[in-house]
Amino acid sequence: MPDVCLYFQVHQPNRLLPYDFFRIGENAAHEDDSLNATILDKVAEKCYLPANAMFQHLIEENHGRFRMALSISGTLIEQMQRFRPDVLESFKNLVASGGVELLAETYYHSLAFVHSNKEFDRQVDMHLQLIEDVFSVRPRVFRNTELIYNDAIAAKAETMGFDGVIAEGVEANLDGQSPNFLYRAPQTARIKTLLRNSRLSDDIGFRFSDPQWSEHPLTARRFADWLAASEGDLVNLFMDYENIGEHQWQETGIFDFWNAMPEATQEAGLQWVTPSEAVDLYRASQAYSCPSLTSWADAERDLSAWMGNVMQQEAIGKIHKLEQKILAVNDPELTHTWAKMQTSDHFYWMATKGGTDGSVHRYFTPYPSPYDAYIYFMNVLADLHIRLRRALAAKGLDSQ
Amino acid sequence: MKRLRVLKLGWEFPPLINGGLGVACLGLSQALAKSVDLTVLVPMGTPGADFKNFSLRGLNHLRLEEIESAEKRYRYQSFALVREIPIFLDPYDDGRSAAVSTCFEKTIRTEETVFSKTTAAQLETFKIGGLYGPDLGAKVIEFSKIAAKLAMLEEFDIIHAHDWMTFLAGVEVKKATGKPLVLHVHALQYDRSGSDDHGWIYEIEKHGMEQADCIIPVSRYTGEIIAKHYGIPGRKIRPVHNGAEPVASFATKKKFPEKLVLFLGRLTSQKGPEFFLETAARVIARDPNVRFVVAGTGEKLRPLIESGAFRGLGSHFHFTGFLDKEKVHDLLSMTDVYCMPSVSEPFGLSALEAAQFGIPAVISKQSGVAEVLKGALLADYWDVELMAKHIHALLTDPTLRATVIEQAKLDIAASTWDAAAAKVIKIYHEIIT
Repeated sequence: MPDVCLYFQVHQPNRLLPYDFFRIGENAAHEDDSLNATILDKVAEKCYLPANAMFQHLIEENHGRFRMALSISGTLIEQMQRFRPDVLESFKNLVASGGVELLAETYYHSLAFVHSNKEFDRQVDMHLQLIEDVFSVRPRVFRNTELIYNDAIAAKAETMGFDGVIAEGVEANLDGQSPNFLYRAPQTARIKTLLRNSRLSDDIGFRFSDPQWSEHPLTARRFADWLAASEGDLVNLFMDYENIGEHQWQETGIFDFWNAMPEATQEAGLQWVTPSEAVDLYRASQAYSCPSLTSWADAERDLSAWMGNVMQQEAIGKIHKLEQKILAVNDPELTHTWAKMQTSDHFYWMATKGGTDGSVHRYFTPYPSPYDAYIYFMNVLADLHIRLRRALAAKGLDSQ
Repeated sequence: MKRLRVLKLGWEFPPLINGGLGVACLGLSQALAKSVDLTVLVPMGTPGADFKNFSLRGLNHLRLEEIESAEKRYRYQSFALVREIPIFLDPYDDGRSAAVSTCFEKTIRTEETVFSKTTAAQLETFKIGGLYGPDLGAKVIEFSKIAAKLAMLEEFDIIHAHDWMTFLAGVEVKKATGKPLVLHVHALQYDRSGSDDHGWIYEIEKHGMEQADCIIPVSRYTGEIIAKHYGIPGRKIRPVHNGAEPVASFATKKKFPEKLVLFLGRLTSQKGPEFFLETAARVIARDPNVRFVVAGTGEKLRPLIESGAFRGLGSHFHFTGFLDKEKVHDLLSMTDVYCMPSVSEPFGLSALEAAQFGIPAVISKQSGVAEVLKGALLADYWDVELMAKHIHALLTDPTLRATVIEQAKLDIAASTWDAAAAKVIKIYHEIIT
């Protein structure tokens, strides 16, 4: 019987204003504060506050036998500090219960690893520092944005001193093996890779609220039985926190499900572990080779959700290209503004995929179309670039 | 001399405009109305739009009673002469305001046919939807039926119809009243689709021009196309260039330091937006301190955005989407060079507007406005290398820039609607006698 390892991603991006062409050069504020605050309020009421309260209660009620992990992005923590400090308090209380492990990630929830080693380092350090300041803990396990992973990322995480790294369990790479074991990436000595069990994770994350699903309605009892019947050392359930209450509304029974889970798993004889406990408990006996970048997004489980079309490639390439000059100016506020534009969501909204994945992209976007997302992003980028040039000139750093 | 009375048939009219057609119709109407008695008939008029010198009637405000008196007098036959119209005709005369579900295709025989009475449902067509919606064909047919009846109630000497949407109506009015028909050609299906597409719009254009007494294209360029591709004898073709409405131009300082090169127009193949992109790529390769702006929308917007991204021009190539008149003027007030790479442009009013703002233009040789704007640099629409050279020159050579702008000012002074109207009135007098 395997252990169960539960992890949730918690993130909000800083959505941009529909910044039109006439404002390029104005160096006005780019972010849609009003929209970001409104969305945070909505998600807090539907998801963060009730879910935090629920899990805190479950942790206390089960005397620590129920435990889980979260990773909270730097951009969301900032938003909470600005707009909803009470929500941040509720996360702090949850972590203080002792039953929640925090993971490390890039502060800006970005694809920096793919573009700049230096920027990636900077963002991970920033996140570690923030988590330490706000929650007084030091993460041991790393998760890259949207579970983007390959062998190089595992090696990098090991150099940075992490004991574990989480990733999507991609069938092609697993080659018949089960994701329910800890694995070792090639060229690493110590770090262990935890692979998401996508089938069971998506059962709760997506299919749970689908009335057409053969297993609908899913009870905690039945799911606990499935977990108990799974092979391997542990089942990794990795999901977006908003699955509880926001993507899947309370009416679907999702809160009732989670409320019943600790008892159901106890009756089935299952044990909950956090990622670093899993790392300490189990050996990584097999190799998991993942040369190309994988993620938990879309059917392809690669980078195509953010870099699949030319608009995305152009936008993400251009923003990262400014790195050297931005850092040369050495203005924290300018650097921060630039880095916030690396958040993966900006590029996610430019996707032109069709089908089910396309409708998921469209569900999340604040823009009427991916073309609008691209145009407004590029207008803000142009404005930022002008601000950068002015700053370089002011410091006598412009080379021309 | 007694003032001529003219019945003008239009389709789009300010403030309900799509492109240059409505603007040109208004400009010409206002100038003509100084010397002739003008009544303008359009499918949709806006209440409250007050045109001082002429009466504008929108069919969307017409009451059934007004045209009923013409019903008995009118026999409708010429529909038989048009070979193919793949649109459903409604032959029912049952007075029910039924939905379109009762339409079916019907071949018209060549004997005289009494046309159906106009029903309230038919008038309703003009109250709903836009001017260029999926029911465009139906609206064109209804317009020609009702215009013919309305014309029976008016007194006029000449019929003047603007563009293919009104040509059928023009022909019907001519048949009903015997008055001479002048067709004003602002655009041709040839411009939109090339010589391969001889669909029903081409047929209507050709049929109308064959029935007309005179055709007024907006340029010699368009006149040549009419002669060559529609087989119309040259003596019937009398080009009259459009005028430019005087505009209060102004200059504003850009918020960004780069130069601005502007493309303004609908994003369709006809306007050559992909040539603008190619030209931009070449200019930027030489001088990255230029921003290229595409103002407008259309079916080519998305492919253009993607091509621009593909070429790595995303930071220099901007899209504003559709802009209203005020925003267009704001944009013109900060433009350094205007570029019009049209594949086939009957006139190109926007180039004149740019000239009014003191902006030098690089324009396609395949355009009508090239005939009036001597103060402009020309290139074949496909010659992106030359267009890039011209743009670069206008941005870097102040003497050339000043010369072009000066000449354009003189050209503008001569391009007035009054001058155009005078030519049109001369044509009117010739065909009346």
